[in-house]
Amino acid sequence: MTGLRMGFPSLRLLAGLAGAGLALCATSAGQAAPVTVRSCDRMVTVTQPPQRAVSYDSNLTEMMLALDLTDRMAGYIGHRDRMRASALDLFPKAAQLRQIQRGYPNRETLLGEGVDFYFAGWSYGMRAGGEVTPEKLARFGIPVYELTESCVRIGRREKPTLDFLYRDLLNLGRIFGVEARADSLVAGYRRRIDAVSRKIAGKPRLDVFLFDSPGRVAGTAGAHSMPTALIEAAGGRNMADDTPGNWTRISWERVIERDPDAIIMMDFGQGDMRRKMDFLAARPGLRELRAFRQGRILTLGYNELTPGPRNVTAVEKIAEFLHGDH
Amino acid sequence: MAIIEPAAPTRARRHRALLPGLVVTALLLGAMAGSLAVGSARIPFAEVRDILLSRIMPTGAAPYWKPGIAAIVWDLRLPRILLAALVGAGLGMVGAAMQSATRNPLADPYLLGVAAGAVLGANLAILHVGDILGPATTPLFAFAGALGATLIVLSIARLTGSTTADRLILSGVAVSFVVTACANLLILFADQRSAANVTFWTLGGFGAADWSVLPAPAVALAAGGAWFLAKRRDLNALAMGDETATTLGVRVARARLLHMTAGAFITGVMVSVSGMIGFVGLMTPHLVRMVVGGDNRLVLPASALVGALFLVLADIVSRTIIAPDDLPVGVVTGVVGGLFFVLMLRNRAGG
Repeated sequence: MTGLRMGFPSLRLLAGLAGAGLALCATSAGQAAPVTVRSCDRMVTVTQPPQRAVSYDSNLTEMMLALDLTDRMAGYIGHRDRMRASALDLFPKAAQLRQIQRGYPNRETLLGEGVDFYFAGWSYGMRAGGEVTPEKLARFGIPVYELTESCVRIGRREKPTLDFLYRDLLNLGRIFGVEARADSLVAGYRRRIDAVSRKIAGKPRLDVFLFDSPGRVAGTAGAHSMPTALIEAAGGRNMADDTPGNWTRISWERVIERDPDAIIMMDFGQGDMRRKMDFLAARPGLRELRAFRQGRILTLGYNELTPGPRNVTAVEKIAEFLHGDH
Repeated sequence: MAIIEPAAPTRARRHRALLPGLVVTALLLGAMAGSLAVGSARIPFAEVRDILLSRIMPTGAAPYWKPGIAAIVWDLRLPRILLAALVGAGLGMVGAAMQSATRNPLADPYLLGVAAGAVLGANLAILHVGDILGPATTPLFAFAGALGATLIVLSIARLTGSTTADRLILSGVAVSFVVTACANLLILFADQRSAANVTFWTLGGFGAADWSVLPAPAVALAAGGAWFLAKRRDLNALAMGDETATTLGVRVARARLLHMTAGAFITGVMVSVSGMIGFVGLMTPHLVRMVVGGDNRLVLPASALVGALFLVLADIVSRTIIAPDDLPVGVVTGVVGGLFFVLMLRNRAGG
């Protein structure tokens, strides 16, 4: 929590500086040259900074908000209440954003809204073989930037680190012509992560089980998920990091055998945490887990564990949880 | 179900089929036109009409609509509606042919492992490969899967000497179980969040349609239609039973295998561009036979027409009922079609 409080003022300051940078950029926006960045395995070119961009769901939209791009957006795709509930505390401007569509968008909606840019990912507002893909939107002149963490879902296996977040923010900064803002934002994030690294230096790497969903098998985050990167940056190790993939399943036997030092629970809201605690308590084997008996359980929200600006706070929270006053 | 009753084509029957045929054709054209004005973007009908006219007969007049709106009408809705009609026609026609060839009223286009194979291919593309070959990746994989499963069924039938209709169908069922198990294995090894994408594809829909999607189903329908119509006597004979067909000079085993393979091929193309859409292929021929009798000369084209009408209407429902989101069209055909058919049965029992 201390990390969060420390983070705020500096963030505001940086945003202010970035705003000044934007004013400079805006004057030259008229003759802006086309920008090309890498997105998963292809290059995406934006001929001029988008003016009617759309982003998918809360974590991606918060990246847009962190770059203060509300005035460049036609709106967002996703659940309105969830978006407001999650985004407003850090980003009051989220209230200005309009919901374009609740579920995965269709091309008709995007064209009808005159959208000129779509920020999404695989299984974050796009599906292979679906009607909205980078190539299918390219035919209508709508460029797509893909969330780096989601590239694994179309076969690109790259071990995630916080660099995924930085890369996406810097690329968005270039696409929207707000490089200065993106640079200072990322620089601030790096400083906070460096501070965490110094704190955890020399401490033992603790085993962490990320509890995503209960069931006959454990829903968890695999090697190619953001939580793996966050836990590592915080001085832990995701016990499922030998299972490839993003959101994956492992057997409960593996969890029991490994008996992790700590558990991080992904909170989807609406009594979800209660359900998960009851599940652990009711299961022989699981209720005997060290982490469960000692209550070494940390709850983090969807936007903290999926790629987005809250990842940095999440790392600070996890580091404090794992290596704080124990 | 004594629905398959191939009667000798009589002039009276053909005459009786003329009026319903014209009505259904008019309904189909009307539904397609109306469908153009329906969608998540609200576009007045007059604007839709003007956009279409400007594309068909360019007058050089300055457009008063936004380019995005023109793209919606011409590049999204029109190909989508045409795709729904093509797939509906294909499935309806193949259903009729399959039912005749197997003399089984429960036969549908997805016999011979087509469905399971297509799902396996699609799962592989959607969950593990991504669009490596561009937007055509999933259709290509699904088609390859459908074709592969059909070939396995046929070789097993050959190996075990299963030439009777029942044994062919059972081979198809057996292979489907194995292939479906493999498809499920792919889901198990996939990212949890992607698993829903597979369901979405499997339940069927026309949302991914654009002009580039249309040639394959159009060719399949044209070629398949020509083939089945040319062989309608074979199909009529097979529907009367193997002995009768033999006395009529049909080489039963060979003809059945040939027609079922042709049907599986057409269905493979359709399923690859639209996902699994149930009911149409199974039920349309029955509805048609209630009106025009059992002669495939009428049943085949009529099933195509009614199937097209049905899927165009189903797609309108799928686009409007939870707009702006699409409801998978397979869900619509299942619910609406099933209830409608029960109603038809009741009416006929009452009349």
